[in-house]
Amino acid sequence: MLRPDKGMPTASLRLGGALEHWTERHLRYLMLAPTMLILLALTIFPSFYMFYAAVHRISPNPDLPWEFVGAGNFARLLTDAQFHVALRNTVVFTIVAVTFEFLLGLGLALLLDKFIRRLTFLKTVLMIPMMLPPIAVAITWKIIYEPQFGVLNEIMFRLGLPLQAWAGDVNLAMFSIIVADVWQWTPFIFLLMLAGLASLPVEPYEAAALDGASSWRQFWDLTLPFLKPVIAIALLLRVMDALRLFDLVFILTGGGPADRTKVLSLYIYQVAYRFADPGYAAAISLFVLFVTILLSTWFMKRMRLAE
Amino acid sequence: MVRKLFLVLAAAASALAINGAAWADFTVLVPSSSEGDGLRAAAADYSKMKGTKVEIVQAPYANVFEQGANAGATKSGVFDIILMDDPWIPFFAENGHLEDLTPFFKKAGLEGPDTDFLSKSLAICRNPYNTGPYVCLPYVGNAQMFFYDAAKYKEAGVDAPKTWDDVLKASQTLTKDGGGRYFGYVFRGGQGNPVVADFMPIFWSYGANMFNEDRTKVTIDTPEGAAAMKTFMALRDVSPKGIESYNANEVGTALAAGTAASSINWPNWVATFEDPSQSKMVGKISYSPIPAGTKPGSSEIGHWTMGIMSASKNKQEAFDFMLWATSPEQIKISAERGNPPVRTSVFTDPELTKQEKFRHYPVLMEAIQASTPRPRHPKWPEIENAFGIELSKVVAGTITPEEALKNSQTAVEEITGLK
Repeated sequence: MLRPDKGMPTASLRLGGALEHWTERHLRYLMLAPTMLILLALTIFPSFYMFYAAVHRISPNPDLPWEFVGAGNFARLLTDAQFHVALRNTVVFTIVAVTFEFLLGLGLALLLDKFIRRLTFLKTVLMIPMMLPPIAVAITWKIIYEPQFGVLNEIMFRLGLPLQAWAGDVNLAMFSIIVADVWQWTPFIFLLMLAGLASLPVEPYEAAALDGASSWRQFWDLTLPFLKPVIAIALLLRVMDALRLFDLVFILTGGGPADRTKVLSLYIYQVAYRFADPGYAAAISLFVLFVTILLSTWFMKRMRLAE
Repeated sequence: MVRKLFLVLAAAASALAINGAAWADFTVLVPSSSEGDGLRAAAADYSKMKGTKVEIVQAPYANVFEQGANAGATKSGVFDIILMDDPWIPFFAENGHLEDLTPFFKKAGLEGPDTDFLSKSLAICRNPYNTGPYVCLPYVGNAQMFFYDAAKYKEAGVDAPKTWDDVLKASQTLTKDGGGRYFGYVFRGGQGNPVVADFMPIFWSYGANMFNEDRTKVTIDTPEGAAAMKTFMALRDVSPKGIESYNANEVGTALAAGTAASSINWPNWVATFEDPSQSKMVGKISYSPIPAGTKPGSSEIGHWTMGIMSASKNKQEAFDFMLWATSPEQIKISAERGNPPVRTSVFTDPELTKQEKFRHYPVLMEAIQASTPRPRHPKWPEIENAFGIELSKVVAGTITPEEALKNSQTAVEEITGLK
């Protein structure tokens, strides 16, 4: 029986060596491949699919072909009264809720900055709302706002104050949603501001104190400029999140009463899933995406200018 | 060795995840409510008896529609049977998501469903309504009834309310005497499905309808519609503050807690009202058909029906299960589990009717027979949304009743293309 010569590699050994060599040369790409595949499947493909869907009228009947409508779905946005209502409500919600969250979060951080490092328990308590699942927050506030048996009206009754419909009152519904959102997300701003305050340099404050600058002047001329990048990031994240508001509205009001709390995410959901019109829903989603990109670009630009 | 074993296990787990449906002989999509629980229990019995593996997928009410529509649109075949609320039938049937049951009945040697089913229960399962082929079988016999506290109504001078005027008379007195903590009437004013569901019976009881007979015209903004709206507004004025956000739960809770005297509601609430752990009103709530307006009262039918998805790969197995689950024996078991029946023999079964918890059966059977389906239109979810927005606005007082009728007329005309 002939034995292979020790000095002569067999075909399999040659193949193994070539594979090893190829792997070594392309290792960095191989390492990236799983992430790229996931990104492709979960982000890039759905995004292109959304563009594709937005220029078609899609029937819920799978036997009917998708009809190319070009910019037709986008043109519908101009005349769709429900979209205009949802857009207005989203803008109002975003501006008011994020403003309150920012002011409260910053205020709390400034107030508690000196003590919080010792009171870790308090910090944990303040963090609880933002750690809760949004659905749990929505159900909790639904119970609080319930007009007949809710905690809030019970307190109002005991104080001799008039009972309110809260989430059911046209004038209070959006306010009620904002309060719940502020309760949940103020801790997020607070946490970021606290981190920002912890990273401030000490020397400028010592110099300012020597010069006799008041606390207000120190805040205005030192703290606020130093915090600008953190503030920009906090506001950007909150605005992007507020534009996607869904859970609170879905559970608390369903968009009512009288369409006063219908926001864009809820409308997209209704169009896509209730009215079975995914093409138009994709067009509205693209609009929201466009606004979000525009806002974030503007924010980032402002942030760079601030730096 | 360990690595090899791990790889084999991982591959096996992935294959099982991908072919998840292979675990079951067929899969049923049901709502996560008492109706879905009933079918889940039946499926467990079926599995035990026949050795067939039935997978039950439960989802919240709205998600059942969405998941079914998505499965239909993508022909995924992930669900073999869907338990549908009856107004969804035209959407599912006319978009090709439901299987025509005629060949399956023929193969089973049957003409169609037997005549023990209530005629109104069968009518909704044909598409077009009452004339087309069967696309589903009725499972849960929901139709609205009028719930009221007879003792309170008597105190207010009304023995048994026969008309909406009777309801208003009693409710006005009770609300006035209630001092803001007790109300004569309560309804679902939440935007969309809730407010539409509670308005439609009033609408019909004044002779109004959403479309004319041959469905060529929208007929919301009519004198009949205005008469219904007048009563609806009067009922709003005797209802609690906050009904603008009320759904079935809030209405049911108000009645069970004894803070409201009457409402329209679905029969599955009877079990709650008669349960001492959930109700202060055990044995005190009376049930009657929907009161009359200028025409006899008519409740909204809201049956849960079972249909086979067109993309199903297990149609025969699915049909066999549906036929079994809707048999007289199984509908009786389903009734005992708390689901209203759809068969005359079960509604009149002395074993059930002699029990206190089924004392509403004669009223419910009458309500189903006198019921009206929501307009059979494939775009019903969109129509309901538009109508629901206008009704929500009028309940909230941001527009007048006249504006609500006019706006609803225009909105439904636009959605349906009928001018």
